[in-house]
Amino acid sequence: MGPFTRRTSAQLNLRRVDLARPFGVGLVVTAMLPLVILPMASVFIFGFSKGPLHFWDALTNPAALFSLRLSLWTSSIATLCNVVFGLIAAYVMSKYEFHGDSALMIMISLPTAIPTAVAGFALLLLWGRSGLLGQFLEQTDVRIMFTTAAIILANIFVTFPLAFGVIKPALDNLDVSYEDASEAIGATRWQTFRFVVLPSLRGAIITGALLTFARSIGEFGSTIMVSGNLAMKTQTAPLYIYSKFNEGDVEGANAIAAVLAVMSFAIFSLIIFFRNRLER
Amino acid sequence: MARQVMSILPENLSVVEREPDPHAPLCVRRLTKRFGDEQILDDVSFSVEEGESLALLGHSGSGKSTTLRLIVGLEALDGGEIYLHGRRVEHLRARDRNVGVIFQNYALFPRMNVVQNIGFGLRIRGVRRKKRAEVVERMLSLVGLGDQRDKYPWQLSGGQQQRVAIARALAYEPDVLLFDESFSALDPQTRVSLRREIRALLRRLRVPALFITHDQEEAMELGDQIAILNRGRLEQVGTPDEVYNDPQTEFVATFLGAANVIGGRAQGGAISIDLDRTLPVVGSLRQYVEGQDVKVVFRPEDVVLGAPSGLVETPYHIGRGEVVETSFAGASESLMVRLLTKGQSGMLQRLAAPARYQTGALQRSETPGGIVIKVLRTKWDARRLRLKAGDLVSVGLKTFKVLRD
Repeated sequence: MGPFTRRTSAQLNLRRVDLARPFGVGLVVTAMLPLVILPMASVFIFGFSKGPLHFWDALTNPAALFSLRLSLWTSSIATLCNVVFGLIAAYVMSKYEFHGDSALMIMISLPTAIPTAVAGFALLLLWGRSGLLGQFLEQTDVRIMFTTAAIILANIFVTFPLAFGVIKPALDNLDVSYEDASEAIGATRWQTFRFVVLPSLRGAIITGALLTFARSIGEFGSTIMVSGNLAMKTQTAPLYIYSKFNEGDVEGANAIAAVLAVMSFAIFSLIIFFRNRLER
Repeated sequence: MARQVMSILPENLSVVEREPDPHAPLCVRRLTKRFGDEQILDDVSFSVEEGESLALLGHSGSGKSTTLRLIVGLEALDGGEIYLHGRRVEHLRARDRNVGVIFQNYALFPRMNVVQNIGFGLRIRGVRRKKRAEVVERMLSLVGLGDQRDKYPWQLSGGQQQRVAIARALAYEPDVLLFDESFSALDPQTRVSLRREIRALLRRLRVPALFITHDQEEAMELGDQIAILNRGRLEQVGTPDEVYNDPQTEFVATFLGAANVIGGRAQGGAISIDLDRTLPVVGSLRQYVEGQDVKVVFRPEDVVLGAPSGLVETPYHIGRGEVVETSFAGASESLMVRLLTKGQSGMLQRLAAPARYQTGALQRSETPGGIVIKVLRTKWDARRLRLKAGDLVSVGLKTFKVLRD
């Protein structure tokens, strides 16, 4: 037992009077109350305050359902794209050294540093009607801004580094001897990737996908800029909550907020579950 | 460098360097590799014959792992040629060379079970499922793991993992099998039994094999031939008998088992050793210039000790000694004996030992003055003449080797 191992609670209990324990635990729980527990509870308390039927009505309102479907759809597409891009980018950054690779690394991680409203705004400036590239699209029938495509694009931008950030360390940690062995056995690089590397990345890919999806579902700042917030057309669930609240329809907002809260909670539980399995 | 040696064992006269045969299963010629300013491999040549195994022996940093990586194709060489059954492969990628490798950590694919691991080489070659299963079955029985087929690597012991690695490599019938210090991670018992098993298996299958190791005992057991590598240069290639009993350089002598090295000088048709004794030399002295410094090498088991007054019943008597310490090891007894010399006055005097005299591999004399040699006796010899620290003995040699200084 060296100097740096953690003490078990049995060892801690050897101290006759340990005030730190109840005090510490109490402090954490107390802090959680106003910050996390109570706000979440309010969503459900108020949501059901007029009874479950009322809740159900607010939930099954066509605009509400549409917003949920749209959120699920755009988040799924964005997640798929970012996991694939993230995998490719992680492989390239992990395997190859080249001039400017640290600059590229910074660029890949950039979206997390940029405020989402700025991201949305930037996309508008690029693809909007008088935008840098958008002005050329004016000639054609192609319109990107204020469509579902815009939402997907914004989501891809802001969540890009997430899957990459999980997959790359997993790739870095993969023992190179597996790939050496595979090559010595006679496999091509693609075969090695498909049969040896990819299966080992399973956990990282799933975690990366869940992380991306969870973040994307809740995305607000960039979406509200590029989507136009048109009900039944480009209104995602977070936008729906915002709009309903602004209109004064608190119950409408409440119902969808509760759904999103439950969904996020479920996704993060899955992430933690998978993270623990990854530790094996 | 001593290429030709004189030895008193007539059957082991000079070893002639031969250019390795490119049609052998594995042949490397003039292998060179640099890394920056450092010369990792310098003109390394050897071959492995059909059905034979060769142990490449050396310290860490001697270049043996690099040699393996060059042969496999995981690294590019700077100079030289590599042949596998007659075809030149040094410009081919690893996957086109058809070699089998057992890595130090076995590198079994963690997400595949035993069957899938073994079948991998066949699968990527497009072999159909049924045929694949047949071969895998055969491999499993070959290495004795039929009941582990569904297990995953993390569920297997080190010895089992290595067997899977071997089966995986043999499944696609490689030209040669390469072992990269693969026994070093095992506990001593498993190591010994697995070594024997693998040796027998390779002999039965007549698969040529190259073992990379730093363990001289392992090299002696596994190799039909042993190649000793020292800082990128090949010092000697030969059978275990040849390299042990007829070492061509001091490094080889001291690497394989303990060796005692004392200085001498070629003088008047004999070797005069710094103990005012001379040793006669069999064979031609022409290669040594009169007055040339030479090294006399002998192993602990070549030394005979006797009562201080009497002559020791060996051909070569080198003088008297004082026992420094003894160490009992069951079947044998190990002793450290300080050699004494007769001074001008006739009294026994201790020799001030210059730093270049050393006992090989193991201990160096801690106390100043006097050359200390390591002696190994059987327990029967020990019983016949019981010795303890401080006793005087007369020292003789059954055999010795002379090397250029």
